[in-house]
Amino acid sequence: MKKYFTDFGTAIAKGDIWTRLSLLVMGAGYFGRKQIMKGILMTLIEIGFFVFTIRFSLQYILKLNTLGTVQREETLDLVTLTKTVNDYDNSLLILLGGIIGILLIVAFILLYISNMKTVYRLQLMKENGEHINNFAQDLRELINGKFYVTLLTLPSIGVLLINIIPIIFMICIAFTNYDMDHQPPTYLFTWVGWSNFKTLFTSTTTITFGYVFVRVLVWTLIWALVATGTSYFGGIFLAKFINHKMTRCKKLWRSLFVVTIAIPQFVTLLLVGKLFGDYGIVNSFCNQIGLTAFLQDIGLVGKGLSYIPFLSKPGWAHVMIILINIWVGVPYQMLSATGILMNIPEDQLESARIDGANDFQIFWKITMPYILFITGPSLITAFIGNINNFNVIYLLTSDYVTTNMAFANSNAKEVDLLVTWLFTLTNDYSNYKMASVIGICVFIICATITLLSFTRMIAGNREEEFQ
Amino acid sequence: MKKKLVSVILAASMVATMMAGCGSKAPAANENAGTENGEGTAATTDDAIANLIAATDKTVELTLWCNETDAYQTVIRELVDEFEETYSEVDFNITIGVESEANCKDDVLADVEAAADVFVFPDDQLVDLVNAGALQSIDATYTYDPAKTNAATTVEAATVNGKLYAYPLTASNGYFLFYNKNYLSEEDVASWDNLLAAAEAQGKTVGMEVSGAWYLYGFFAGAGLDMYGNEDGTNTCNWNATDTKYTGADVATAISDICANSAMVNCVNEDAQSFALNGEMIADVNGTWATTAFQEAYGDGYAAAKLPTFTVNGDQVQMGSFAGYKFVGVNAYSKNTGWAMLLAEFITNESSQTKIGIATGEGPSNLVAASSEEIASAPALAALAAQSEYASLQRVGNEYWGPAATLGQLLVEGSYTDVQQILDEAVAGITQAPQ
Repeated sequence: MKKYFTDFGTAIAKGDIWTRLSLLVMGAGYFGRKQIMKGILMTLIEIGFFVFTIRFSLQYILKLNTLGTVQREETLDLVTLTKTVNDYDNSLLILLGGIIGILLIVAFILLYISNMKTVYRLQLMKENGEHINNFAQDLRELINGKFYVTLLTLPSIGVLLINIIPIIFMICIAFTNYDMDHQPPTYLFTWVGWSNFKTLFTSTTTITFGYVFVRVLVWTLIWALVATGTSYFGGIFLAKFINHKMTRCKKLWRSLFVVTIAIPQFVTLLLVGKLFGDYGIVNSFCNQIGLTAFLQDIGLVGKGLSYIPFLSKPGWAHVMIILINIWVGVPYQMLSATGILMNIPEDQLESARIDGANDFQIFWKITMPYILFITGPSLITAFIGNINNFNVIYLLTSDYVTTNMAFANSNAKEVDLLVTWLFTLTNDYSNYKMASVIGICVFIICATITLLSFTRMIAGNREEEFQ
Repeated sequence: MKKKLVSVILAASMVATMMAGCGSKAPAANENAGTENGEGTAATTDDAIANLIAATDKTVELTLWCNETDAYQTVIRELVDEFEETYSEVDFNITIGVESEANCKDDVLADVEAAADVFVFPDDQLVDLVNAGALQSIDATYTYDPAKTNAATTVEAATVNGKLYAYPLTASNGYFLFYNKNYLSEEDVASWDNLLAAAEAQGKTVGMEVSGAWYLYGFFAGAGLDMYGNEDGTNTCNWNATDTKYTGADVATAISDICANSAMVNCVNEDAQSFALNGEMIADVNGTWATTAFQEAYGDGYAAAKLPTFTVNGDQVQMGSFAGYKFVGVNAYSKNTGWAMLLAEFITNESSQTKIGIATGEGPSNLVAASSEEIASAPALAALAAQSEYASLQRVGNEYWGPAATLGQLLVEGSYTDVQQILDEAVAGITQAPQ
């Protein structure tokens, strides 16, 4: 870190006229070494940056501290039927423009410093009589020696645009009062500090976010664990059974399961949701064969109900969702497990058999560790994916009405994941501030789990360990 | 990976709103053109329209959102063509978009600057739209006066704080009872007791979405208990009252008693329609949107009536309900406010309402249109008219829906021990301040 700035200082202190001129015109250092094209590009970037900042983002950055003060006012001239609107502030634009503006300024400062160092290096190269690339040679280098730079540029820009900016934006929203009563462009919202986070951890009779958050979080984690585990092992067992030498028509079985992937997931889910609805086919069947009455007798179904609440009561719905998810998730795991099973080194299995291991031992001691080792990273991905598994939960429980007043007061349901709760809050109640707070929690949970498990998994030479 | 997921969610829920800023901020395009004509002494309506026509030199681009059904789309298309003919001096390019009314508020508020100039929406979304500043207030009208031509209740429903914010279009968005007169007599449908007894005797069922907060309101309102929204977005609710003529607990117990009947089915609209079609369900509390389905299901037995009375403490009490209306609103961010207002006026005038009423089976809010023979004779609309004297205006804060639905579900299941306690909890939830 220190070296970073001392290098910059040295460049200014020991630089010649061209190098020092680069403090003002960024391209000057290149012009001095006859790198005209690079000089022009650098200067253009500098000009572009200043034009953008002054013409566009500065107005937003200046208002970031208040997020705007002028509310929209309009007057309609009733005689001419024309409308005049004042020059109003849009808090959302200010926040977004401000974030982009600041990020650009940071990026520009970094570029500015590294530019000074490059220019100084050029000066040294010139003094030492080394060869200095012309523009064409530079370009050629970008597709040869420095190809990684070329390759990484686009993804980096993508990461910045679709990941970093929205995340910063979301984090900022969590500290504002952006909700139904403060909706831009007509109304302004502003900073409120930590009060939304306080709300999230408050439990009173009416503010039940604290009560609900803990329960939703626990269910989210249980769901992610069980859903991932069941589809994972289900998929492996299924692949194993299909791969077994006694199984006939392997291709037929495999294709049958793949067909379930071919149907769009939400169609399947909506359909299954209807099948298991309170008045769906399954329920009328259970009614006819007397299963509903039997379950009522043994106390599994409440007396007040005339149906089995497959997807409409806590407990029942939790189990059903996981079962339905197995059906949706297993084929994917089966496919990837099939590939891995076919690649298990035959000699290992052979020697195990010679040593007298039975099928069960071979499976648990050789096959499973092998599969676990290979699918570890994808297992984590699946786990995180399930934490945010919006489709399954949302589509299956759209008719769910909670009977717990505490959940109702926070617009949540017992079967909600953090993600679906967040969706309800934004979509139905325009409560963006609380949704952002929940979003941050989801982010922290997912980031922690991923980082921890990935570093564990990739740490050391696990590959040799396995062998 | 995890970052991507978070951002996808962000994209889904928030980025849509972010884009709100991308629209042009320019005020009405013809702002300057108006001044030279604007000094007319008498602000007569003809002058205003003439001014507007004179000030319009470019093609007027307008978008109109209305219901997705064919009936709606066709009749609105015809009306828009008529509108263009009426003002043939001006070039119009009017796009008709498909927008289910139930989602109108969400989609308008998602990006008010990109939303339609003119849109049809139900009255329960009015307050939220006004609060978000999405509706142009109607300070003057030019071709007819909505306050005089429409039923007073509908105009009141379109008014917030003394200002009219939308043009009333229909007055038939409330609920009432559909029944099959081959099974049920008029006496049967007069009270829940008779209705359920008759249905039970014939092995049939009666439906109502009691666990729906919108329908549940009818019982408590009928018994004289209060629930209404205040200006600050909270609700006032005394459903747990113990000092009223019928206490909250009395009403709640009455609801539970109704739901305990084996002929009673608590189900949503789609389920009710399929039960009616397969002949199981011979009566259902529902609204005009289900008219076609019930006509088809009941055939020549198709009939409709006001909601039945129910028994509280041995008395027969008439059920109340929410009255429902459809309005036409003008987007406050429209770039052609003047023309948008004239278009909204045009599709809500008497002749347009009559055409819409005939095409869609919905009841016009215009008094003359509503009394026309062809429309007033429809059973569903007659039932609504009969129910209307017990119906109240729907002005409800957002915190009502969750707790009330939960209360309804508890009453349906009868799975509570202390009725007063769940009422207290529900009222605490309904009246809480928005967070």
